[in-house]
Amino acid sequence: MANPKSEPTKDPGKSLGRRTFLKAAAGVVALPYFVPASALGQDGNTAPSNRIVMAGVGIGNMGNGDLGAFLGRNDVQYVALSDVKKNVRDSQANRVNEKYGNKDCKTYNDFRDIMVRDDIDAVHCATPDHWHAIVVIEACRNGKDIYCQKPETKTLREGKLMVEAARRYGRVVSGGSQRVLEDYRGIVNACWNGDKGNVKSINVNVGPLPLECNLKGETIPDGFDWDRWLGPAPWAPYHPYRCSGSYNINGTSWRSFKDYSGGGMTDWGAHHFGGATFAIDVRELEPEEVIFHNENGKKYATCRFPNGKLIHHNYPGMGNLQVVGTDEKGPSKPVPTYAGTGGIYGDFIDCVKTRKRPFRDIEFAVHTATVCHLFLAAYELERSLKWDTVKQQFVDDGQANRLLDVARREPWVL
Amino acid sequence: MISNDMTKMTLAGAATLSATLAAVEIDSAAVDKAFVTLKTYDWGADRNALNPIDEAINASHGDTAALRALEKRLVDALESGLSRSAQDYVCRRLRVVGTVQSVSALAALLPNEETSHIARYALERIRNQRATTALRQALPKISNKLKPGLIGALGVRRVKRSVNVISPLLGDSDINVARAAAHALGLIGTPAAAAALSEYAKKAPAAMKISVADASLLCAEQMLADGEKAQAIALYTELKGEGQPQHVKVAAMKGMLTAAAQK
Repeated sequence: MANPKSEPTKDPGKSLGRRTFLKAAAGVVALPYFVPASALGQDGNTAPSNRIVMAGVGIGNMGNGDLGAFLGRNDVQYVALSDVKKNVRDSQANRVNEKYGNKDCKTYNDFRDIMVRDDIDAVHCATPDHWHAIVVIEACRNGKDIYCQKPETKTLREGKLMVEAARRYGRVVSGGSQRVLEDYRGIVNACWNGDKGNVKSINVNVGPLPLECNLKGETIPDGFDWDRWLGPAPWAPYHPYRCSGSYNINGTSWRSFKDYSGGGMTDWGAHHFGGATFAIDVRELEPEEVIFHNENGKKYATCRFPNGKLIHHNYPGMGNLQVVGTDEKGPSKPVPTYAGTGGIYGDFIDCVKTRKRPFRDIEFAVHTATVCHLFLAAYELERSLKWDTVKQQFVDDGQANRLLDVARREPWVL
Repeated sequence: MISNDMTKMTLAGAATLSATLAAVEIDSAAVDKAFVTLKTYDWGADRNALNPIDEAINASHGDTAALRALEKRLVDALESGLSRSAQDYVCRRLRVVGTVQSVSALAALLPNEETSHIARYALERIRNQRATTALRQALPKISNKLKPGLIGALGVRRVKRSVNVISPLLGDSDINVARAAAHALGLIGTPAAAAALSEYAKKAPAAMKISVADASLLCAEQMLADGEKAQAIALYTELKGEGQPQHVKVAAMKGMLTAAAQK
């Protein structure tokens, strides 16, 4: 029992039955993304409480912020935390216990110990990027909804697997960029209101590209499970810059390095490209082609979508999120927004309760990440590439297809 | 130890490379210098010193002879004895340019706990039967700690012959080995893999239930995609039965409905 004052939400799966089957059966052609809320006792008939029992995986840095945001909600109750740093686990558990006035919050070095707990409904994941896919898929396998920090994927293949896992088990899986909706309202509204006319392209200025890290080893701090921090990434000696959660992308944080991140391209790219795909309304699509340009040493690239719209990266002379359209007044359409209250966190919690598709549904988030990864591949190979959106492969480029994924360090497999 | 024949091959490779590099305007002297640097490269060294090799690889795109020559030099370096950091660098490059020519050198690193993963980092991306064979042959020779990685690699490759090697590992006392085996069989997704998962599910310990159910769902999806509809439905039918968690039952029911809708 998480809190003697209120009974935690029961395991959503336990209230499923024939009703769910009938609802699913009605959707033979177009199966529902998520298990219906009514089947989860969220229609007011059977649920003992609306409180969502949560756990956090990766609770330092961004995870600290995410924990605070969820913890501030009275419809959420944290009962478990996981982190590879003992001091982080202990201090955050104290924070949670102080909030609830009990000592119920359990801590774990291995996040899988959280996933097997039947009393937990949802998880937030704010590990470094190279862990995201493993944590999200493990949550789905265990019937848990999950909010995952951006950038959601480290490789192209991971995105496909995460969406498949979410759909297979009917889980609510939200990506973690709040900026997609909140930071670019001016340009989003202009595009959706028709003020830009027929939108042709948008430019994103972001960087830098990720680096290979060859830092020399230092002594591992006490209480830090370095091997687990590395997890699926190649072994490397401990260095504080290698694993720092600093938001710098200049070689002094894990965000800078290829083994753990896509550098600025995916880190800030998750926000900017997310905003760009939202503004020009290609969230549902993936590009068919990435065109690499090298004009006298000035390198930039362009993704072309099946509907002909373009997203440029670092196009010379263009500003960030600068749109090119026909500029005559076009038709207006309503701008999608969050459900519930409390921004992207409230959107996730509301969708956990209602089983609706979150604003930053994992499929949208993965499409954004795919844009980032296609740009990364084009810059790494310094050539244009065609992308088969169905096969999830590069077309006629065996070398590029080797970049679809990485071999994970044992015991981690996907 | 490099044999005389191998030395000749290396020199021949270098000569071919130099000629090719000249054609694509690569600074072959800088590439040579980078390969010299590689011999003493270690943690803490300037990574940029190796950039000419990266640039030569990109510039050689479409030039098979030049790429093979570069690959040969990387393999020779790997076999000559390098620091762990330098091995790491070479394997990352072979991930992109490695061919059957690299398999033997990479396979030799598989049993070593320090190099197994980074060798697989390259080997997994080489889509060649000899690479698959090397992975499969290494499996019985490596420690339990390393086995999940190799099993996972075989699963991703989806080679039917691997089912016989992987299936017995479902019952391994090491939970990481057993989980990797289940997942790999799910990825391979053949009727033989399904049969192995189905048989094991009857006796799987509690700690393996979710892994086996998830792998079975993967397996059923793959069989459905491959036109093995009857086998997929049979597996789904088992998964929606008693004893499964509710979310697994729902996933199985969704799978059955998808199968029913399939012509």
